[in-house]
Amino acid sequence: MTKSILSGAAALATAVLLPMSAAAQAPSRSTWDGVYSAEQATRGGELYMGACAQCHGPQLGGIDAAPALTGGGFASNWNGVTLGDMVERIRISMPQNSPGSLSRQQVADVLAYMLRANGFPPGAKELPRQTAFLKQIAYQAYKSGG
Amino acid sequence: MANRTSRCALAFAVLLGGYACTAAEPAGTPPPDLPSTAKGDWPVYTADLHGTKYSPLDQIDADNFDDLEVAWSFKTDNLGNRPEYKLEGTPLAVNGVLYTTGGTRRAAIALDGRTGELIWMYSMHEGKRGGYAPRQLSGRGLSYWTDGRDDERVLYVTPGYRLVCLNAKTGEPIDTFGDHGAVDLKVGVVKGEGEQIDLETGEVGLHSAPTVVGDMIIVGSAMAEGFTVPTSNNSKGVVRAFDVRTGKMVWRFNTIPGPGKFGNDTWEDGSWARNGNTGVWTQITVDEDAGIVYLPVESPTSDFYGGARPGDNLFGESLVAVDLKTGERKWHFQFVHHPIWDHDMSSAPLIADVEIDGRMRKVVAVPSKQSFLYVFDRITGEPIWPIDETPMPQSEVPGEKTSPTQPIPTRPPAYARNYLKVPDDVIDFTPAMRAEGLEILKRYKTGPIYNPPVAGSVDGVLGAILVGNASGGTNWPGGGMDPETGIVYTQAANSFVSGASVTQPPEGFSDLQYLYGLKGQTFRLYHAAGTGQNPDAPEPPRFAGDQVQSEKPIPRLEVEGLPIVKPPYGLLAAIDLHEGALLWQVPHGDTPDVVRNHPALRGRNIPKTGQRGSVGLVVTKTLVVLGDPQVTTTDEHPRGGMLRAYDKQTGEQVGAVWMPAAQSGSPMTYLVDGKQYIVVAVSGGPYSGEYIAFTLPAGN
Repeated sequence: MTKSILSGAAALATAVLLPMSAAAQAPSRSTWDGVYSAEQATRGGELYMGACAQCHGPQLGGIDAAPALTGGGFASNWNGVTLGDMVERIRISMPQNSPGSLSRQQVADVLAYMLRANGFPPGAKELPRQTAFLKQIAYQAYKSGG
Repeated sequence: MANRTSRCALAFAVLLGGYACTAAEPAGTPPPDLPSTAKGDWPVYTADLHGTKYSPLDQIDADNFDDLEVAWSFKTDNLGNRPEYKLEGTPLAVNGVLYTTGGTRRAAIALDGRTGELIWMYSMHEGKRGGYAPRQLSGRGLSYWTDGRDDERVLYVTPGYRLVCLNAKTGEPIDTFGDHGAVDLKVGVVKGEGEQIDLETGEVGLHSAPTVVGDMIIVGSAMAEGFTVPTSNNSKGVVRAFDVRTGKMVWRFNTIPGPGKFGNDTWEDGSWARNGNTGVWTQITVDEDAGIVYLPVESPTSDFYGGARPGDNLFGESLVAVDLKTGERKWHFQFVHHPIWDHDMSSAPLIADVEIDGRMRKVVAVPSKQSFLYVFDRITGEPIWPIDETPMPQSEVPGEKTSPTQPIPTRPPAYARNYLKVPDDVIDFTPAMRAEGLEILKRYKTGPIYNPPVAGSVDGVLGAILVGNASGGTNWPGGGMDPETGIVYTQAANSFVSGASVTQPPEGFSDLQYLYGLKGQTFRLYHAAGTGQNPDAPEPPRFAGDQVQSEKPIPRLEVEGLPIVKPPYGLLAAIDLHEGALLWQVPHGDTPDVVRNHPALRGRNIPKTGQRGSVGLVVTKTLVVLGDPQVTTTDEHPRGGMLRAYDKQTGEQVGAVWMPAAQSGSPMTYLVDGKQYIVVAVSGGPYSGEYIAFTLPAGN
C-alpha cells in the first residue's frame, strides 16, 4: 500500500467566470443514417452476452444500478451525445468488473448491437473504432418529424 | 493491520482567506473560533450536526439566481486511474477552503474556494483491500475538526474502510492518530457470533462522511448490495465513536443485538448469530445539547428475503437514538418489521425545535424511501402524531414469515407516491397507453406499500409491484430543513416502479433459499454502483449460473418507452412540522426528452412532469436549491441539467442555471471574500465527475 500527497502545483482547476459552452463541432450524421452493419451488430451481440448481459440483462432491460440500454430512460439519458462520447464512456468504465478489457473494435461492435436493439437501421458500413470518427455521428434518439 | 509503507511527499499548504471573527455574535451561536454556517462556512456534510443542509446566506436570491455564472470547475478525472461517472461528493468549506473527495481511489482534496485551485491531495493505494471494497468510488465527502486554535483536521473513510485523519493545512496524515494517521475500521467488524472478518477481503465499507461532534468522530458501516448475497451470515453492522485526537475507540453500538441485549429476541431461533448487514450507511445526526446520536439503520440480509431471520429483526430499518457519551441505546423506532422491501433508512434525520399544538417540541424528523416523514419527540422517541400498526398482506414465499402489521404514520401524509394505485396512477396520456399499462400490470401482483415479494416466474406472476424501495422516495441525498421556520424540504422519486420477485439461486451459490430474481431467467448478481471501479478491483467470483443466455422477453414496467405511472415522475415537497402537513409539492426536473419527443405527444401541452432520480438540496435564507437528476435537450438549453432555485414558501421556481450534466452530489454554499458560492457535483452519461462553483458576476 502506498499513499501520496500532491501539492497545489497541479493545475486541475479551470477558468474563472466563463460561461460553459456546448460541444464544439456539430456531427455530420446521425444514428438514423445506417451507420453500422448488420454483421457488426451480430458480432456485438455475442460480445454483449458475454461481457454486458450479466448486469444489463439479455434483453438490455437493466437491473438496479445497471441501467436499461434500451427504452425511454436510455433514450432520454443519451439523446444528443455523439457515438464517440458513448464509446469513450464504455471504454473507460465498462464492463464494470473489468473496465478497459474490451478493445476499441469490440466496443464499437457492442455499440452497433445497442443501436440495433434501439431500432436504428443498419447500413452498408461498419461503425469505425476511432473515437474521433464516431464523434461525427449523433445519437439522435428521436427521428425528426417521426 | 497489514504492513504498509508511506510515501508522504511534503505538501504545501495555502490557507486562504482567514475569516475575521466579529465580537458581537448572537447568543447561542458557536464560539467565534469554530466554523459555522452563520459565518459562511459549510463545516459538516449536512451543513450542521442537525442534518439541515441550511445556510443563512442570502446574497444569492430569487432576483439574481438567473445571473449566476461558473466561477470555476474541477474535474476529478485524474485523482484516480480513470475518470468516474458517479461523483457524489459534497464539499465542506472552512475559511474559504473546500475539502472534499473525488476520483476512483477516493482521494481527499483541498481546493481554494475562490478559484478551485488544488491546494493538496491525499490518496491511499489500498491494493486488494480497496479492490474488494463493497462501496467504491469517491464517496460523499469527509469531516472537519478543529480545536479552535491551530489544530485543524479532516477525516474520511477510504474505500478499504480505514479512517484517515489528515492535517487540514497540508493533507499530511496526523501521525499521532491511530496507526500513523489511520484507524483500521475492519478490526472489530464481525460476522456470525463474533468472528472477526478478514481484514483484506471482509465485506464492509462506507460511502458517507463520518460525523464529528466535539472531540469525537462517529463512523457507520455499509456492506455490498443485498439483492443477491452468497450468505445470510454477512458482516454485522456497527457504529463506532473514536477520539478525534488519538483514534482510540470510545464506544460501539452493534445494530444486531447479541444475547442479553435489548432486541435479541426479535431474531427468532437464535438467528441473530447467522445474519448480517443492518449497517448505517447514510449520514448520522446529533443533538449535542441532549447528548443523543441518531442512527438510521439499513436492512438486514437479504434485501428481499428474510427466511433465515424469523422475527422483527431489530434494529433493521430503524432509527436508533444512542447516548453520545456511551453509545447505549436510549430509544428506537422500527419503520419496517421483518424488513424485506429494501427500505434502508436512507436519509439523515433532521432535528428541529418547533411549536406543535401550542407547546415547543424537540423533534427528529426522518425522510424515507417510503416517502413518509416520520416525526418523533427526539428525547423520548414518542411519535409526535400517531403511527398506526396497520395490517398488511402476507408473503407466500416458502420460508418467509412477514409481520402481520407495519407502522403507517397518520401525519404528515406521504409526500410522494409510495404504492401503485390501480388504475388511478397508471399512465393516461392516451386511452391506448392506459390500456397497455393495465394489461402489463395484469402480469404483476399489485398491493399496498408493503406488498410482499413473490416467487415469480417468466411464465406466471412476474413480481410484486413496489414504488419507492431500491431507488424511490428519498434516497441517500436526504432532505433539508429551515430550522427557523420548521419546514422540511425533500426531493423524491415518484415513479420508481419495480416488480419484486425472489427465486431459488443456482445450486451452491448461496445458503439462502431464495434471492432476488425471476424463475426462468438467468440468475444475475446485483452489484452496488461502482463495484469493480476501484483501480485494484479483482475479477468478481464466477459461479455456474452466471453465463447469461437468451431468454423469454418479459414486459417492462413502461409503455412505449414512457413510465407506466402518471407524472409527476419526481418532485420537491415542503412539509410544515408545526402542523404535520404538506405545504406544497412541485414537479422537479424538466420534462424528459422521451416525453417531449414522443410521437403521440408532440404538440400536446403536457404540464412539466419532473424527473425520476434522487438529488439532494441546499436550503438558504430564501431559497431551496437543487439540480435536475437527468439531462434534457430543449429549445431553451443545450443537453444538460438545470440547477434550480425554488421559493421556500410557495415552491415556485424563481431561477435556474444550466449545468453540463445532471446533479450527482448534493449542493452546498459558502462565503469567501464577501462572495457567496454554490458548489455542486455533476456527472453521468458521457460526462465525468466535476465540481462546479457558481457565483454572481462581478459588480452584481
